[in-house]
Amino acid sequence: MDCRSFALRVDDWIDGRLDKAEQEPLRMHLQGCAGCRRGHEDAEALRAQLRALPAPAMRPGFAEQALAKAGGPRIGYRAVPAMALAASLVLAVGVAAILFAVRPEPAPTVTLSVQQPESVHLVFNSAKALQGATLSLSLPQNVQIVGYGDQRELTWRTDLREGANLLQLPLVLHARTSGEFVAVLSHGESSKTFRLKIEARPQG
Amino acid sequence: MVRVLSFHLARIVGTSFESLLRPHLDFLHRLAWRFTGSVADAEDLVQDLLLKLYPRRGELATVQQLRPWLAKVLYRQFVDLVRLRARSPGAGLADGQEEELETLPAEEAGPEQHAERGEWRERILAALAQLNPEQRAVVVMHDIEGYVLEELEGILQAPLGTLKSRLHRARQKLRAHLGMEPFAAGERVKR
Repeated sequence: MDCRSFALRVDDWIDGRLDKAEQEPLRMHLQGCAGCRRGHEDAEALRAQLRALPAPAMRPGFAEQALAKAGGPRIGYRAVPAMALAASLVLAVGVAAILFAVRPEPAPTVTLSVQQPESVHLVFNSAKALQGATLSLSLPQNVQIVGYGDQRELTWRTDLREGANLLQLPLVLHARTSGEFVAVLSHGESSKTFRLKIEARPQG
Repeated sequence: MVRVLSFHLARIVGTSFESLLRPHLDFLHRLAWRFTGSVADAEDLVQDLLLKLYPRRGELATVQQLRPWLAKVLYRQFVDLVRLRARSPGAGLADGQEEELETLPAEEAGPEQHAERGEWRERILAALAQLNPEQRAVVVMHDIEGYVLEELEGILQAPLGTLKSRLHRARQKLRAHLGMEPFAAGERVKR
């Protein structure tokens, strides 16, 4: 192997892209060539120096500032219509007086386009204000809340006001499957389960 | 009158973009700094990226491998920024590297070692500043961040052969700038 051939192969060697047999001619060449030996040592040193090059830490507060600026005044519930959501549907779910003596009803169905975030609106009608109610959501396979990744269970406490309470959920369906979305609303000793069938919108 | 369940709504809408991007911001900032060599430019680059992505946040949730996808978008922003500045007389990237060195993390080293390390950092940064944006990006992603070339085909949007040749030339230029031994008699540095 001559110096020019060595120069053409040395990057692959340094990067670990050559097997033992392929490395052998380069090793042989180094034994007899002081110039390439120095070059090889320098290349290895450069690689080590680059790998060790530190970067400054992000300025404290920059992340929050940059995220807020990106969202700007659009952050908040009014942002939902501007999210380029393809469709929106309203589902009224009645919550009877002191919540939950609602007659059994078949689960309503919502159709979603695959891989297309859409806003599903749930309206909880409450006969009176409820402080500290707990709302739990359970998502079927292949359905995600935008921004929550694979998280399938979400629970939080919220206050319901008298009358209609709107919950807007940006959902995305990842496959042409159907499943059941379950929302459980609890307050004190009472609870009510709402079921929603989610199906893929027919193609065409 | 319809009342909005504001607590949950604020959480869903207000944090969905943040929860997707926040885990990657340190990485993006580091990458932007390595691309540009300047904290101010890095912050501008990351801010521009977030502004560009916010309207596409629904799409972000469907991206399977978000980090390399973000790196690809950041790289395109960086190349565009360099091209834009090249067309603006008097503007340039990678100014103020001395100032940036002061913000580097403290290390366990004596004054002499610290001075030596500071010196080679400066020299390396100055050498990186000599590279064109495509060369700099491949050195940053491969030699510094440790991505393999096959991964970089997607991120830097170039075939393997192009990346290998870009990396080879970039290293030649770095070695030449740092006064290191060239390979093969007559090895020439190409721009």
